[in-house]
Amino acid sequence: MLEKLKPYLFLAPAIVLLLVFTVIPMVYTLYLSFFDWNMISPTKEFVGLDNYINILTNDTTKKVIFNTFFYIVVLILFNCVITYIFAFIIGYVVKRFKGFYKVAFFIPSVISLVVGSILFTWILNPISGPVAIIGEMFGFSIPNWSKTDGLVIIVLSLIVSWKVFGYNFIVLYASVVGVSKEIIEAARLDNISNLRIFIDIVLPMSSATGFYILILTIVQGLQYVFTPIKVITQGGPNYGSSNLIYQAYHEAFVVYKTGQSAALAMITLLIFVILLLLEFLFVERRIYYENS
Amino acid sequence: MKTANYKNMILHIILISFILLTIYPIVFAISNSFKELSEAFTSTLSLIPEKFTLENYTGLFDSIPIVGITINTLITASVITVAKVATSFLAAYAIVYYQFKFKNVTYFALICTIFIPFTVTMIPNYLIISELGLQNNIWGVILPQMADAIGIFMLTQSMKGIPKSLIEAAKLDNIPTKYIMKDHILPMVKPAVTSTSIWFFILAWNEYVWPVLILKTTENFTLPLALQLYISSEGGTNFTVAMALSVITMAIPLGLYLIFQKHIINTFTTSGIK
Amino acid sequence: MKKFLLLMSLLVLVLSACAPTSGEEDKKEEAGSGEKTKIEYWHVNAETLGGKTVEKLVADFNAQSDTVEVTAKFNPDMYKGLMQNLQAEAATGNSPAVVQVGWAFLDYFSQNFEYVEPQTVIDKHFPESKTFLEDNFLPNIIDLAKNSEGSQVGIPYSLSTPVLYINKDMLKEAGLDENGPKTWQDVEKFAKQIKEKTGNYGIYIQEPADNWATQAILESNGAKMLDNGKATFASKEGIEAYEMYKKMVVDDKTALHIGWDQGIQGFIDGKVGMMYTTIAQRSNVQNNAKFDVATVKSPAFEGKEVRLPAGGAMLAITAKDEKEQKAAWEFMEYLYSVEGMAEWTKGTGYVPPRKDVAQSENGLKAFLEENEMMNAAIEQMDGVVPWTSFPGNSGLEAEQKLLDIRDEILGGSVDVEEGLKKTEKEINELLGK
Repeated sequence: MLEKLKPYLFLAPAIVLLLVFTVIPMVYTLYLSFFDWNMISPTKEFVGLDNYINILTNDTTKKVIFNTFFYIVVLILFNCVITYIFAFIIGYVVKRFKGFYKVAFFIPSVISLVVGSILFTWILNPISGPVAIIGEMFGFSIPNWSKTDGLVIIVLSLIVSWKVFGYNFIVLYASVVGVSKEIIEAARLDNISNLRIFIDIVLPMSSATGFYILILTIVQGLQYVFTPIKVITQGGPNYGSSNLIYQAYHEAFVVYKTGQSAALAMITLLIFVILLLLEFLFVERRIYYENS
Repeated sequence: MKTANYKNMILHIILISFILLTIYPIVFAISNSFKELSEAFTSTLSLIPEKFTLENYTGLFDSIPIVGITINTLITASVITVAKVATSFLAAYAIVYYQFKFKNVTYFALICTIFIPFTVTMIPNYLIISELGLQNNIWGVILPQMADAIGIFMLTQSMKGIPKSLIEAAKLDNIPTKYIMKDHILPMVKPAVTSTSIWFFILAWNEYVWPVLILKTTENFTLPLALQLYISSEGGTNFTVAMALSVITMAIPLGLYLIFQKHIINTFTTSGIK
Repeated sequence: MKKFLLLMSLLVLVLSACAPTSGEEDKKEEAGSGEKTKIEYWHVNAETLGGKTVEKLVADFNAQSDTVEVTAKFNPDMYKGLMQNLQAEAATGNSPAVVQVGWAFLDYFSQNFEYVEPQTVIDKHFPESKTFLEDNFLPNIIDLAKNSEGSQVGIPYSLSTPVLYINKDMLKEAGLDENGPKTWQDVEKFAKQIKEKTGNYGIYIQEPADNWATQAILESNGAKMLDNGKATFASKEGIEAYEMYKKMVVDDKTALHIGWDQGIQGFIDGKVGMMYTTIAQRSNVQNNAKFDVATVKSPAFEGKEVRLPAGGAMLAITAKDEKEQKAAWEFMEYLYSVEGMAEWTKGTGYVPPRKDVAQSENGLKAFLEENEMMNAAIEQMDGVVPWTSFPGNSGLEAEQKLLDIRDEILGGSVDVEEGLKKTEKEINELLGK
């Protein structure tokens, strides 16, 4: 009997905490998304689906959703693909200084993004920053990245990647070197190229961790970008750097459209859940778990 | 053989330049924390302060209770980390090793909470914390953050990699669950526990949006909040003091990592994350 | 790992035993001194914006008052951040006693939060100070804190205006009058000549996430942001002024188009000849620039009078019960005393909203002689007008639209006339006109 209760007992702390501090607030937000309200006025006006219709027919939202996917692509490239390759290189290709690399790569991870954002505002200042000065010596100039569509997203993603790289690297590295040495040595003897070893052996055998990093990159990455957006661009130029997370914040706390913000948050959630489902369906099934 | 060496050299050069690039901002921060503000404005390129000054640091100690603030941050981040890992471990254990009704649904629902942006939970949580009288108290910052589905996800993934037979055998031997967890599961998911702990710790250490709402007076601040005192759009940013504070802020997690670095990497690599 | 966790938890236990939890402390204090009314004062003053001064004023006040004990709370992210925190607080049913409200939030604040007019509190509890407001404030200044319905929501406290900072060395190098330009037409010429002669940018006009500086330029050319509750900035004058701004940024490339922080860095670093920004940046610029720097009054358009929106904030009373309201005014009267105002101006770089502080011996006389850069702002006080606060529930969204169009115009992606007309129409729809 007790044995039957045990799983519930073990789940209880996590479920209760998440219920109280995450799920119930979310339900409340769902409720708010059907009202026109500014969070403090005593009256809420029920508007049905108006907030959703408003958002979905709005050019700004389209731009913001596009930006969100742009961020996702750039972040996956920087924080998953490149990191994976580095993990493989340190794990199997280079022979010396591994310890040094492992420590050095991790260092930026401990820095707060507020600090990172301030630092990069100075370092990448197009007219008086060190990069601009060095550029000037070689005769090229730094574009006004904070006011340029597209470029602004890449630079903000770079700031986040700079911070996230080290952690992702350590996790992926551990997983990559966990792949059985014999298999790789055997492949080497067969003169299989590093590229093929990476794609055919290492990648599939470390895919569980890879999947974790992928999810982390998408979800945390988007929330992480929030900080540089807020500190550096406030979503500008003309929403050019805003993503769904920042936009929900903007609606709620800059223009005080609580209902709009709630609806936006719900749409964000929906997009994420769809992504998650797709991943579960197509990726999770093919993930390699030893002994399972 | 020669070409391989040559190739290796190039690889090392690339890796080292990459490291120099990623370390540069930190060196930039440290160097500026020893500069006078006017020098920081006018000679951004030079990394060696023309006039070396400790004033940015001494000024911090004089103007804010920096030791207390550091202790606050340490308590907040540590408690959050330990709580998140503990709740996640228990939940993951239940999900992997037990069969019960609605298991998959529960798991999926839990994972979905990862995607709920903080903007959604901010105001309702603030109401709860005020209701509990935990405003302006670091426990008000900690309480809503004691569980995290990222941890559940990570540990579940990791536990799935442990042979089921091992646990079944232990269960048959009537070993109490407590010991199964401690002696059989924990050692095998150590790397996952380590990496999630680091992740949670860094996250909590640098957290800013939520504590801003809860903490009101300087003596209860955490480090990222104190940093806000030196950043103002209208009055300008006191860059050098902000950098001194940033150096203090990064020193502690970095120090922890360097101390435990060997241990952490070993844990990771000996068992690998599956 | 186990050791690591164990160490962590031990550390936590030890530390939490040492560090007093604030909850307990509060209780002790309450028991100790029952008769002092405790109130909270919410401000936005970071260390670089006079944070020290807030602390000093509060400590001095607490030391001399037998009846009131003030706690100051700092709110990051300026008035927007404060509004956000106030919102969360209001949702709990509590409120601080005195808050700083940024001008852009005047209407929003007065429509959504409970406040009490300072005069009401004065009349009820301090009849001897009945004429305090009339006696001490210029009418155009005290009116800044009136909302669109004419209610005196608060009292102006932090007051700033935009001034033109000039790099005299660079102007000299470019062969220009080192006293700086007087009109925007001159600014345009100056900027061009600086670019030609020195290769540097001529001017940076501040681009934060608000519309303050743009309003100063448009209205100084005779445009009106809002007339009888209707947006009217896309008038001939408004378009003309914006064309000039756009020409400097997009066509001549003599004006720098960049974020606020970076623009200020550029000016202090000597890469930009002039900078149009708030007087609140004075000490930052004065202390860190290594060249001969000065401020001049906000330029006018030829033959027209300047109209400069007031920046900064007012103090409003949000205390709910009478005892706290009374305490709030006692505190405010201290802040608005000549000495209090002088302290405030010195610490923050704002302009004193109260008359006679600038000339008074126990006020700012000596300070202003030492810091000449302040004078430009003090001399242009008669040109101060309210910072347009769009009325109604969509007021802040309307303000946002102006930022959007600024990005588009300065990004060169839209024609000024077309863009402004479109935005004006959208704003009027939002306002229901």
